[in-house]
Amino acid sequence: MTQHDTIAGGDATSPPAIELIGITKRYGAVVACDDVHLAIRPGRIHGILGENGAGKSTLMKVLIGLVIPDAGEVRRHGTAIRINDPVAAAEHGIGMVHQHFSLVEPLTVWENVALGDVGRLDPRRVRARVGEISEQYGLEIDPDDRISDLPAGMRQRVEIIKCLRRDPEVLVFDEPTSVLSPAESEFLFNALRTVVERDGKAVALVSHRLGEVMAATDEITIMRDGRVVESLSTAEADARSLARAMVGREVSLRGDVIQTGSASDHVHRDRTAEVPVLRITDASARGRDGRVLLDRLSVDVHAGEIVGLAGVEGNGQRALGDVLSSLLALDSGRVEVESREIPTGRAGAMARAGVAIVPEDRHHSGCVLDFSVAENMFIADPERVARRGLMDRGEMARRAEALIDRFDISCAGPDAPMWSLSGGNQQRVVMARELSHDPRVLVAAQPTRGLDVGAIEYLSEQLRAAARGGVGILLISTELEEILDLSDRIVVIANGHIVGEMINADVDLERIGMLMTGAAAESGVPS
Amino acid sequence: MSDLGTTSTTIDEERAEVVAQARERSRRGVTVEVIGLYVICISIALALAAILVAVTGGSWTAVYTAMLDGSIINSGRIGLTIGVATPILLVSLGTIVNGRAGLVNIGQEGQLVMGACFAAFAAARLDGPGPFVLVVAMLIGVVGGALWAGIAGVLRYWRNVPEVLSTLLLTTVAANLMGWGLRKEWLLLAPASGRANRNQVSEPLPDDTRIPRVTWFGNEFPISAIVAVLLAIVLAVVLGRSIIGFRLRMLGTNPGTAMRAGVAERRYGVAAMLVSGGFAGLAGGFMLAGGDFGNYQLVANFGAGIGFAGLLAALVARQRVLIVIFVAFVFGGLRTGSGFLRATGVSGRIADVVQGLLVLALLLPPAILYVRERRRALAATSARV
Repeated sequence: MTQHDTIAGGDATSPPAIELIGITKRYGAVVACDDVHLAIRPGRIHGILGENGAGKSTLMKVLIGLVIPDAGEVRRHGTAIRINDPVAAAEHGIGMVHQHFSLVEPLTVWENVALGDVGRLDPRRVRARVGEISEQYGLEIDPDDRISDLPAGMRQRVEIIKCLRRDPEVLVFDEPTSVLSPAESEFLFNALRTVVERDGKAVALVSHRLGEVMAATDEITIMRDGRVVESLSTAEADARSLARAMVGREVSLRGDVIQTGSASDHVHRDRTAEVPVLRITDASARGRDGRVLLDRLSVDVHAGEIVGLAGVEGNGQRALGDVLSSLLALDSGRVEVESREIPTGRAGAMARAGVAIVPEDRHHSGCVLDFSVAENMFIADPERVARRGLMDRGEMARRAEALIDRFDISCAGPDAPMWSLSGGNQQRVVMARELSHDPRVLVAAQPTRGLDVGAIEYLSEQLRAAARGGVGILLISTELEEILDLSDRIVVIANGHIVGEMINADVDLERIGMLMTGAAAESGVPS
Repeated sequence: MSDLGTTSTTIDEERAEVVAQARERSRRGVTVEVIGLYVICISIALALAAILVAVTGGSWTAVYTAMLDGSIINSGRIGLTIGVATPILLVSLGTIVNGRAGLVNIGQEGQLVMGACFAAFAAARLDGPGPFVLVVAMLIGVVGGALWAGIAGVLRYWRNVPEVLSTLLLTTVAANLMGWGLRKEWLLLAPASGRANRNQVSEPLPDDTRIPRVTWFGNEFPISAIVAVLLAIVLAVVLGRSIIGFRLRMLGTNPGTAMRAGVAERRYGVAAMLVSGGFAGLAGGFMLAGGDFGNYQLVANFGAGIGFAGLLAALVARQRVLIVIFVAFVFGGLRTGSGFLRATGVSGRIADVVQGLLVLALLLPPAILYVRERRRALAATSARV
């Protein structure tokens, strides 16, 4: 299903059900939405495509009343309306199915649907209504099923029913397929098609997956850095140009930087003959809920090389970081450091093998906020500052002091509690500790997320220096700029699998975009 | 410090400066604050208790005099207080260990009872010189308490059973197990010939397997008190300075980082529960063989709430080992002092309420401090995001 222009109920010229005009929203210096115009028409599915942080979610939150825009207005059938909260949004016929479900697990389907109702509860009526809706849209769900027994796809149907029950005119879906299997996604899109075709409802579908937007929508709006960069009908779109519009930025400018900038310092060598310092082979892992996190992922990192793992958030990056932090055990596959297999999921095994990590969430597995800076420097190997099992506080403070100087960490001293440091300095503490252990491999997962420009510059320089010193570096990032800036080689992850690889010198942004969004296979781009 | 000269660095330095000043100020302020809080809380509790006693027709001056006389002033009462404080201290030490690992054990009462049962069973059956039997029986008591807490530890990591619930519920099981054992001669019940009446009690320990008592300045107490204080000092060093203590603390404050740094959650967690229960078990053994609780034998309701008192003492001391020595003594004093309350003519129930009010007064300041510290830390964290 690629073309829906002939479908009854709506076409590209019908007056919009909801129109956003000049929506602008700032958070401090960051502009999340910058003069955004968007028209959602009845009987059409409107795809809103963009990378993480492009402003899609903020825009949808404006629509649902969770964010009040600084400027611009929302019009419903041509009249300006104010949406100050989700209740107001519902009154104006706008319903949203969020990316993260808000269901009460021990309760049944109909009980969840009835939650939030006021007045007397009439179980028979709610149950009947749930059955009615599910039949009408082919959602096939038993109102008496317990939520905790249902897989993600079914839970989403419950959310959809919750939304449809209020008979909204506009349905907003925020990344609906991020937790679904391909079959479940297909089912969802079929249901959406029914909703727009039969009832003439309007649907806004927020996604970063190019393939599904191409397949399921009638119109596409592409956002980047808070702005609408392109708006077109799906029939006219082609995957290549969409990918470029989505990730491209100033392609030529970016290319210049790559040619002249730091990345060219590293002369790419053919390393296939060398033994990699880190080799991950056919790694597969499932989450507790049975979702596939990693799917036969294989990647090599050689000494002195920076390998950038590019990909859209939520495609297995976190799981890979967890495996390399000994937090997650693989179901199958192996991890080798310098040709030695390292057991996964065993406390401290990766650290002992020489795998240093700057984790994605440093508060979860990178540092202990209640410990002092000095203590945080030695959490992995307190033996180094201990004699006969007792820690030498003086020695620890002296060594920490040296690291504080060397890594230019600004804090009240080695005894300052970790929580008193700024995010950038906490990150430096983590970096200082990991690098001071003479690692073979350094895994940096989103190392610059949430940091300011100065801190980013500093951390990038540290990564480069470590690579020059012979450490193999795996840089996991959703920031393509960062990957392009630092990596010698780029691998692309999608759905827990490595879908493509290229050296930075002949990087093809279009292709990366296609690979990241999982569109490469469908559109037959050679990989 | 920095030659980057970016705004962020200056802000950081300023913040570091502010933090340093705040720490200095707070170090001086906290002591005053803590003392102030205690004075206020205890005054309120004493005043409320006085009103209660007066309203119910008693004399509140007599009540407070009796409390002090019974716990420290009358001759020999300090020794008695020390004897009662000893098992309280041991239970608190164990509580601190599991607290450091981020686990909540509230079933010390049951672990203590199991320790006493194991010790009594062993003492009645072992042959050999008295001191040898005593030491072995105490160690078996440790094993008993450790096993009882270990059940909760294993359930926690094997089946995700919250240890708060399992430890507490196992207390009931322990009490009933002891009651059952006290009806079976092959378990704990004393042989019929040794029993004066048909009471369900265990065989009293023979003279040479009792803990020796010493007399200092007219105060007599069992030497187990000295053992308990030594254990407290050892524990203070282990928790405060050793690698094991460091790792335990890490597990308690951030399990994710601990796992990455090589602290296996299951191993350390179960070990912490075993140690915690072991301390409670030792407390039970010492109660049995120490002489301050009954007649060197198990009786119904043997635990006497000492396990819960120890748990409270650890909370009052905010999990600090050396302070808990003092707190345990205060809790011991509350018990021995209450013994004299009955003589004032105040009804037993009112005496219990008075005691409860004082315990509350002791618990409140640490709770207030804890809540405020968390709030400050949270504010500091969120201010940066």
